[in-house]
Amino acid sequence: MYIALLITKYLKRKLAPMFAALAVTLCTAMVIIVISVMGGFLNMMRQAAQTLTGQVTIFSGPTGFAGHQEIAKRLLAEPDIEATVPLLRSYGLINIKIHETTRTVEVVGIEPASFNTVTSYESSLYWTNQHFLDIWKKQYPASGEMSPTLKQRFDDIKKQYENLNLDEAGMTFKIPSIWEDEQIKEGCVLGIAVDQWNTRDTEGKYNVSNSAIGTPVIITVLPLTLGGSFQSLSPAKAQFTLVNEFKSGLYDIDANRIYVPMAQLQKMLDMDRKEVWENFDPATGEPVGKPTIRSDRVSELMVKGKEGVPLAQVKATVERVLQGYLNEHTDTASLWIQTWEERHSTLLGAVEREKGMLTILFAIISLVAVVMIAVIFYMIVQQKTKDIGTLRAIGASRKGIAGIFLGYGLAVGVIGSMLGLALAASIVLNLNEIQDLLYQWFGFKMWNPQIYYFDRIPSELDRMEVTIIVFCAILSSVIGAIVPAIRAAIQDPVESLRYE
Amino acid sequence: MTATAQKTLLVSTDLHKTYRTGGEILEILQGVDLKVKQGEWLAILGASGSGKSTLLHLLGGLDRPSKGNVQYNNQDIYKLSRKAINQYRNRDVGFVFQFYHLLPELTALENVTIAGMISGSTLSATDRKKRAEMLLDQLGMSHRLKHRPNKLSGGERQRVAIARALLNEPDLLLADEPTGNLDADTGQQILDLFIELHKQGQTIVMVTHDQKVADLADRQVLLERGVLKK
Repeated sequence: MYIALLITKYLKRKLAPMFAALAVTLCTAMVIIVISVMGGFLNMMRQAAQTLTGQVTIFSGPTGFAGHQEIAKRLLAEPDIEATVPLLRSYGLINIKIHETTRTVEVVGIEPASFNTVTSYESSLYWTNQHFLDIWKKQYPASGEMSPTLKQRFDDIKKQYENLNLDEAGMTFKIPSIWEDEQIKEGCVLGIAVDQWNTRDTEGKYNVSNSAIGTPVIITVLPLTLGGSFQSLSPAKAQFTLVNEFKSGLYDIDANRIYVPMAQLQKMLDMDRKEVWENFDPATGEPVGKPTIRSDRVSELMVKGKEGVPLAQVKATVERVLQGYLNEHTDTASLWIQTWEERHSTLLGAVEREKGMLTILFAIISLVAVVMIAVIFYMIVQQKTKDIGTLRAIGASRKGIAGIFLGYGLAVGVIGSMLGLALAASIVLNLNEIQDLLYQWFGFKMWNPQIYYFDRIPSELDRMEVTIIVFCAILSSVIGAIVPAIRAAIQDPVESLRYE
Repeated sequence: MTATAQKTLLVSTDLHKTYRTGGEILEILQGVDLKVKQGEWLAILGASGSGKSTLLHLLGGLDRPSKGNVQYNNQDIYKLSRKAINQYRNRDVGFVFQFYHLLPELTALENVTIAGMISGSTLSATDRKKRAEMLLDQLGMSHRLKHRPNKLSGGERQRVAIARALLNEPDLLLADEPTGNLDADTGQQILDLFIELHKQGQTIVMVTHDQKVADLADRQVLLERGVLKK
């Protein structure tokens, strides 16, 4: 009881423990903020990585594999599996005519509606009609300044923009009537960073006026034979209209991937279902005999598990079903299975390692707090030598004396870490608002959305991590108090009473 | 009250205390034999450096003798467990020091009650507080309960220290030059308190260099260079 009384009094009356508590506060807040921002960053990347990837993917080499319909049928019969979707992945060149730029891209053929059942494709589409209406509003002259003819023209434009329906365009690759072209039949969707003219404003938003949306793009791919060689080295070229752009949140994807209709890409790559002849008349070159049907090929089959089914279980089910299929169809191309985590492991692993490294580094820096507490407590013990002697003279045990200083360390740790938690929480939960304020006051941005890919600073307070940090901070404070507490306990009471 | 009819409370036998400093052995006490009877006021008179404080610390279980023993109620206190010797200091003995040794962060009342908190006595917190208030009241300190030591005069501090020493109703009050740091008038007031306590039957062992103070005791012994002279 006297221990509690003295701890309370010492805390109230001394400035030194307040400095120790401040050191704990700052160290706790520092580690929590770093871990929360890194954790938020990692989580954002994980979410982004999941946006356009199925939970589990069966994939082949670039030549693709047939029989995906049968595999999908077997998978959908499993209770763990919610949906599957095929897609075709290739590489090629894109030429954005309006900007006269050509670059290499990953060309992915999808059926958007079914692709959306396995991924969050629809929510990744960037442009909405509102963007166009906003531009129109800016251009619209004040009423009363327009002739009736001009007003009619602007109203027509407004109507056209209102009927754009860019969501539908992204989901069907159908070209909105305003952009229709006799030559071009289908639309395509680009990653928002594929077109380098797309730049971000100070809020990290893209401006539609920089975008090539609504303009034609030319996509060139190289068809492969089943054996994997280029087919007579003749590239396939097709024109599409850019009907929308997507932003998954992963720059690597958004800067390199484009989506086109799968059937179209299959044709371009000569991977579509068609009749083939084995024999030809040498004189005429005409096919001889009955044709055989060649199945279409895809390069991936994405699988989504049912809600609540663990990823490992989904993967195990896919492995089992695929193995069953391969046992019956020995001529199928080599196939592999990867979860979305494995697929993005290079990127996510790097961030995870970085988070681990930073945590260790800051934990080492936090050792300073332990040393500081040890020094401060050592000084306090020095100052309290006479009190220690007095307490021993009136019957306090060595354990009791040690208890005072250990309890003191514990109290400093609890107060410091709680304040640190409060400080970190108030910073982490309002990080972007704080940044906005700093920007308003000093014109300084820690996280410039024009440079960084995410427009907001990511952060996430993880309860378990915060609990561990707070516990470690308290433990560190107690550890820092151990040596001074032992010193206090072993002090000779007679010497202490003589101490002046 | 006289000591003649009372039982012996405390006995020191052949008490030695030596210190080793820089290769030199200092013999502070050289075989002190002493008896203190229940209710007796014994004054240990001696010049500065004669070893009287060391003797008091040994009698109070604060230090360990190099040789010899101290018996309290026929029990060698230096053969007691650590816990028991802590209890001896807390319940059986009350210390009053020349420099008061109050805890600066605590109020006068808390400085007194803390002695009861340490003992873990059967007194409830309320009773402990009541007793502390009563003691401070008896010592004329009822108006200074909430004051911390730095707001008290030397005499007031010593009164608080005496109240602290008496809280657990110890058999033996050990006082080390209790007036040594006070002016003559204040010193006399403190001595009057000791006289009053002695009248109430309190056993007192007081070390002093002041013959006038020693004269107030029932009995006085002289300590010279660690040797007791009756």
